[in-house]
Amino acid sequence: MFAIYKQMWLVNWAEQWQYRANLLMYLAFWLVSPIVYLAVWTTIASAQGNINGLTAPDFVAYYMMLLIVDIATSDITIHIFAYKIMDGSLSNELVLPIHPVLQKVLVNNLAFKALQMLALVPIWLILYVLYQPVFSITAVNVLLAIPAIAFGFLLQFFAGTTITCISFWTTRAWSISDFYSNIFRLMAGQFVPLALLPAFMQTASQLLPFRLALYFPVQLLLGKLSIEETMLNIGLQMVWCVILFMLFRVVWRTGLKKYSAVGA
Amino acid sequence: MYILKLLSTSIKSNLQHDLAYRADLIVNLVLSLIGLGSDLFGLSIIYANTNDIGGWGPSELIILLGVWRLVNVLMNMIIWPNTFNFNMSVHDGSLDYTLLLPVNSQLLISTKRIVIWHLFDFVIAIGLIIIGLAHNTGITSPLQIVAFLGLTLSGTTIIYSLWITLISLTFWFTKFGNSIVIMSAVLDAGRYPAHVYPFWLRALMTFVVPVAVATTVPLQALRGELQWWQAIGFLGIGLIAVWLSSRAWIAGLRRYSGASS
Repeated sequence: MFAIYKQMWLVNWAEQWQYRANLLMYLAFWLVSPIVYLAVWTTIASAQGNINGLTAPDFVAYYMMLLIVDIATSDITIHIFAYKIMDGSLSNELVLPIHPVLQKVLVNNLAFKALQMLALVPIWLILYVLYQPVFSITAVNVLLAIPAIAFGFLLQFFAGTTITCISFWTTRAWSISDFYSNIFRLMAGQFVPLALLPAFMQTASQLLPFRLALYFPVQLLLGKLSIEETMLNIGLQMVWCVILFMLFRVVWRTGLKKYSAVGA
Repeated sequence: MYILKLLSTSIKSNLQHDLAYRADLIVNLVLSLIGLGSDLFGLSIIYANTNDIGGWGPSELIILLGVWRLVNVLMNMIIWPNTFNFNMSVHDGSLDYTLLLPVNSQLLISTKRIVIWHLFDFVIAIGLIIIGLAHNTGITSPLQIVAFLGLTLSGTTIIYSLWITLISLTFWFTKFGNSIVIMSAVLDAGRYPAHVYPFWLRALMTFVVPVAVATTVPLQALRGELQWWQAIGFLGIGLIAVWLSSRAWIAGLRRYSGASS
């Protein structure tokens, strides 16, 4: 089992390197919007001292941390897998003794992520010098952030694979994925720290799982959460991971039956 | 005259194409409205916390959103779908058939695919501009509106010209087909006035992907912040960009040798 993952990692890692120019371009997508929001909110915060108690340096620290966590927990399944369902090349993968999603897409995701992180390091350091964020990072928080980020990624991975599997029935999986990103932008803290949302949106964002994949790990790393809150949120992440995993299994199995029916 | 004829033929055939997917149309319109909702919601969150962004009030940000969405209509309606077609046709050589036709090839590759339903987004964008203008109290002379409209048009043309130049580069560097991704990433910065950004991002969105020229500059004209010679200068840059990009296209075509040779 482990040997399969290891071998696939090696293949994927080498494959990703072939497309390093493309990787840099996709990195731009992850970079521009946090920097835009950083600029907008720091401009406002420094014009009036603070926004709801958040000062300009708070926003800088928030978005600088978000840059890292966003890449770590994001999922690219729809980009690398939806077309295989649509054009039928999934058939080639189904005959292999490897799970097309839980093994292949997962490893592909991780290899892509690892390279994006490598490319991010120099850019992040330049931004660090430019903005000089002040972090209060403790060893405990970093340790706790490891499971928080891992579960945050799994959460998005199972949500992304479920959405991608909708391609078995309709070509509109892309539209649903766009819709997901729109909600995610507001509810996970990409646009603004959730504390600045209007009251009803804050309640909604607390109940929905999106914040667990981004806002929670960021706040944890910034040292804004107590141990109890952190443990509660990691517990919630696990629950959502299980729910979304079950959902994926159901959609995948029924989808596959539908798929083989098309080929027959 | 034949340009109009060509355009109307292309629109007709694309309309037939799109009407084959009527259910998609409904889904797309709903998603487009949700997108508008989330954009406006974003602005309302910002203005719930402040009175202005770098001196610009809500009505100005709504006009800016309209202009920015106009550029996005160009991207989604023409640039993205045709880039995809074009890259494929360079790889598999089917560009030959396009070039054999006795019409302007640049026009042909930029209008082969027009995603008609984005006209809905176009109407939304124009609506935002009109609503914003109606609520704007800072306009003192009609000349400001004229300059605003002229610069919006020329700014959008500059973005189009950049695209033509980028895809012309595909003739030299096949892998360049993806440079459009960068364009679209930087475009996102056009939602807000450029002067709130750090120097390097401002430089990037003025000189590399001139989205600021297409969005912030027209708004500056509307606010009366541009001298007349600056406005004329930006219009001139628009014309030069069109000319340069068509030269790049022709030079690129000379390099193209078909897929088989």
